[in-house]
Amino acid sequence: MRLFSTLLIGLSSGAIYSLMALALVLVWRSTRVVNFAQAGQAIASTYIGYLVISRTDNYWLALPVALVAGALIGALVDVALIRTLNKRVKSGPAAEMAPVIVTLGLLGLIRSTVGMIWGGDLKAYKAPVTNHGFTFGTTTIPFSPYNLLIVITAVIVMAVFSIIFQKTNLGLSLRAAAFQPEIARLAGVRVDLVRTIGWAFAGGAGAVAGVLVTPSNSLSPNSLDLLLVLGFVGAVIGGLESLLGAAIGGVVLGIGLAFILEYVSTSLAFPSAFIVLILVLLIKPSGILGKKGGRGA
Amino acid sequence: MHKSRSIRLLVFIVIALAAFFLSNVVDELRVFQGASLSVYIVAIASIVLLTGYSGQISLGHGALMAIGGYSAVLAHNHWKVSIPISFAIAIVSTAFFGSILGWAAARLKGPYLAGTTLALAVGLPSLANQFSVLGGEQGLAFDVGAPPKSLGSDFTQYKWYFWICALAALIIVWITQNILTSRYGRQWRAMRSAPISASLSGIHIGRSKVLAFTISSGIAGLAGAMLVMTLNLVTPSAFPLSLSFAIVTGAVLAGVTNLGGGVIGALVLVAIPDIADLLAGKMGGAEKISANLPGFITSLILIVTVLLLPNGPKLSKLVSHKTK
Amino acid sequence: MFGSIRHKRSLVAAATLATAALTLSTLPAQAFSPHYEVGVSASTIKLGITIPLTGSAAPGYNKVPAAMSAYFNYVNDNGGVNGRKISLVVKDDAYLPTLAVAKTNDLVLKDKVFAVVGALGTANNKAVASSVNLGRRGIPSLFINTGYSGFADKAKYPTTYPLLPSYIVEAKIMGQYIKDNYAGKKLGLIYQDDDFGSDAQAGFKAAGVKFDVSVPYASGSQSAASGAAWVGKLKAAGAEVVVVFGVSSATGVALAASAALSYKAQWILGSVGGDATTLKALGVPAAILTGAQGASFLPSPGDATDEYIKQFQDINTKYNAGAVFDNNVLIAMNTAMLTVQALRAAGSNPTRAGLMAALESKGGSFASASFSPILYSSSSHVGYTGYWIGKYNSSGVMLPDGGKYTLYTTDSGAGAVNTVASKRPAMPAKGLPNN
Repeated sequence: MRLFSTLLIGLSSGAIYSLMALALVLVWRSTRVVNFAQAGQAIASTYIGYLVISRTDNYWLALPVALVAGALIGALVDVALIRTLNKRVKSGPAAEMAPVIVTLGLLGLIRSTVGMIWGGDLKAYKAPVTNHGFTFGTTTIPFSPYNLLIVITAVIVMAVFSIIFQKTNLGLSLRAAAFQPEIARLAGVRVDLVRTIGWAFAGGAGAVAGVLVTPSNSLSPNSLDLLLVLGFVGAVIGGLESLLGAAIGGVVLGIGLAFILEYVSTSLAFPSAFIVLILVLLIKPSGILGKKGGRGA
Repeated sequence: MHKSRSIRLLVFIVIALAAFFLSNVVDELRVFQGASLSVYIVAIASIVLLTGYSGQISLGHGALMAIGGYSAVLAHNHWKVSIPISFAIAIVSTAFFGSILGWAAARLKGPYLAGTTLALAVGLPSLANQFSVLGGEQGLAFDVGAPPKSLGSDFTQYKWYFWICALAALIIVWITQNILTSRYGRQWRAMRSAPISASLSGIHIGRSKVLAFTISSGIAGLAGAMLVMTLNLVTPSAFPLSLSFAIVTGAVLAGVTNLGGGVIGALVLVAIPDIADLLAGKMGGAEKISANLPGFITSLILIVTVLLLPNGPKLSKLVSHKTK
Repeated sequence: MFGSIRHKRSLVAAATLATAALTLSTLPAQAFSPHYEVGVSASTIKLGITIPLTGSAAPGYNKVPAAMSAYFNYVNDNGGVNGRKISLVVKDDAYLPTLAVAKTNDLVLKDKVFAVVGALGTANNKAVASSVNLGRRGIPSLFINTGYSGFADKAKYPTTYPLLPSYIVEAKIMGQYIKDNYAGKKLGLIYQDDDFGSDAQAGFKAAGVKFDVSVPYASGSQSAASGAAWVGKLKAAGAEVVVVFGVSSATGVALAASAALSYKAQWILGSVGGDATTLKALGVPAAILTGAQGASFLPSPGDATDEYIKQFQDINTKYNAGAVFDNNVLIAMNTAMLTVQALRAAGSNPTRAGLMAALESKGGSFASASFSPILYSSSSHVGYTGYWIGKYNSSGVMLPDGGKYTLYTTDSGAGAVNTVASKRPAMPAKGLPNN
């Protein structure tokens, strides 16, 4: 039972890491940028969700509103900032680092904007279903209906993504634009537009992660920082290139951390996430699902 | 070659004299900022060597600075060694750690290397809490003592920090400059711009990368030791993730491939918060606005600067051409 | 061209003459006016504070400066301190020691404040005291906001005045209370895995309390998943009384997880993580907080029957735009009121040395909301030393058992825990110090 419930708890937190990892991978694949601003985009979207909840008291309205807001913010970031960046910084020694600085700068910009609008105080909203654990006989396990909702929502988001990517023309364009932009362009794909759509998808996924995780913590301009780092760890474990890898990487990380918390040490879980990451990369430098040798960045 | 080296030495001596002269005329606040500037110059030099030359990315140099800082303090407090020796120990121990890390890093590319070093920056300082010898969150005091009596009674503590930091920075930048113009520097540049032909011409890519990481780590370790000296304290929170990001930012603002630009990058890092505070103070407004305005302005300046001058200011280009 | 330069020159000459004339005309007056200390003028006293306004440590603490300024403005509107108005220069240190040092340098060297008041954080205050060298410069750092016992060391921190009781004192008192009231019960402890927690452990050890299960957590790592793991361990060990000696977010996570897992225990919350308003904002259900116990040196911010709370709430409504009145606002107002008394005690022409001397000779008699005495003297920088233990009611207000405040006092060393009847000076009329 203990094993089973640890697994479930890990699955639930892993589902959220996966969504964040997915957002990072979507952007990385299409634009070759590790988007540190993802935490900022997600926090802005989550605050918009919070606004909806505090006005209407309706979580089910807030979730799609935040998702759409996240997508719009993502598209806006690409059009307003990343396109300019790509135009201006094509080569040169700083080409690899400039996106890091720009997205970090954007993270700071969004965080301080959010702080100006909503202040730095903690905000909270309730989960739409109970977070009281499921009870079997006399035993209550930590896994609750809300945890179940998190897992289901994450699965739905990923299922929709995989249908779009595998079964639609848009998905084909997205994949083509990511891996062979020049050929895609020749084949008539509007690469820039498709890329922006990729950013929008990423923004939506990050927003859902933010809205889902907040009821179990609280909301402040910095409250998704840890999620960004863990999502990035998940994405790297999964190999950065594949959406499936991101999903698996996040879940592996979630379950791994839950087991360390339960069986090893309650205080070492945090540093051990990074030790795990470093070990994974040393054994398999391109992540669990990465192609052999990885892609030269 | 020999002639240019002696000219360069002359330039360094002139800069040193100018710095020491300046420290006597500007106010104390600027003197302290001068010490911070020196710390950033050294830290940025470590990134210039690593990224600008060997082409490896690190988002975790703050963690290496932490190793340098802790090494210096432990050596100073336990073995009662002098400041220069404790700085040397910081360099050596961080370089040793960096060589292990570099061995791992040489296998990694682009974002994976960035990710690993990022993980290090987040994870390592929190590990410091696990060992009581490192003093936990409160940290360990690092008292370098008052300036020598011979310098006079009105010689302030901050001027003393500045002299130590500026001298250390000048020496290490001088050494780094010489490394970069040596055989190794040329190998790194070849390796970064054309890895395959470099490999064909007999450069051992892996070994060369590890060497770069090792030297870069040693320099970062010195920056860490200097930082904790100005703080009088070593604590995990002196090395937040934002420090790692700040020095990378400084290097990019400097144009990543030259040390001379590092001064500009460091100046920007020290000056931006002041400028942001000043602007925010002028604008005023409600409390939640005024609290967030400096962060907003700082971020905005960073983004705009990188978009407008992705490869650093033109001035630095001149300097870098000279060293090519 | 030449004309304009000449024109400028004549302007400069005129300006020089004018300045000289001004200087001459003010000279006699200046000779009779007193020389003022740095940060003090005929009409103002300038103070400074460094505190996190942004970053992950900001929530809660970011309310402190506004609440302090609110109290100062209230005093200013009622005549100020010996006719001088107090202003507070606020600097954001993001809870980083590097920034705390840089910003305190700004306060001292650029803004030229008279004293620093209420600076937050153990590492930050350590770095500032030593690097900015407050001691040698003779700059007072009053009522610092940290529970590290080391700041009471007058030789090491000659101008630093801690106010809050140390974490060791708090743990010793909690330990004594547990021994007196919960003997024979299974005991659990959740603590932060750094100095904050090791001070707590030292205090519990000194009190002779052994926990059946101890759960450490790394600062900043607390999440819903970790809460479940903590409660799982407490449950497995059968802990009946559980102490949470952690920050608010950790307390929130632990209480939420215990609600979700139907785990019932007698909770005892440390003062750092025991603010009901913050816990509510973190989503802790009221039902689980009701009946929990807590330690505090101040009355509960929700207890409007307390004369201090009532007066501060009043000022908060009028001068602080009615910000939510929680522990942070209470501590801020209390600190500001102590500051005003210290400034009054320093006399009509306050100096930094005079301020510290006044604090040491008269600080013990200052009116403050705490039930604990203040121990400042010429030989000690120890501030508050006592706690009372209370119970949260269903609206989150912590009240003493049996309605009567019993104060436990002790030191940070091996001294015994004493019970004393609490007596504190009455709130001065209208909350305006008259010392």
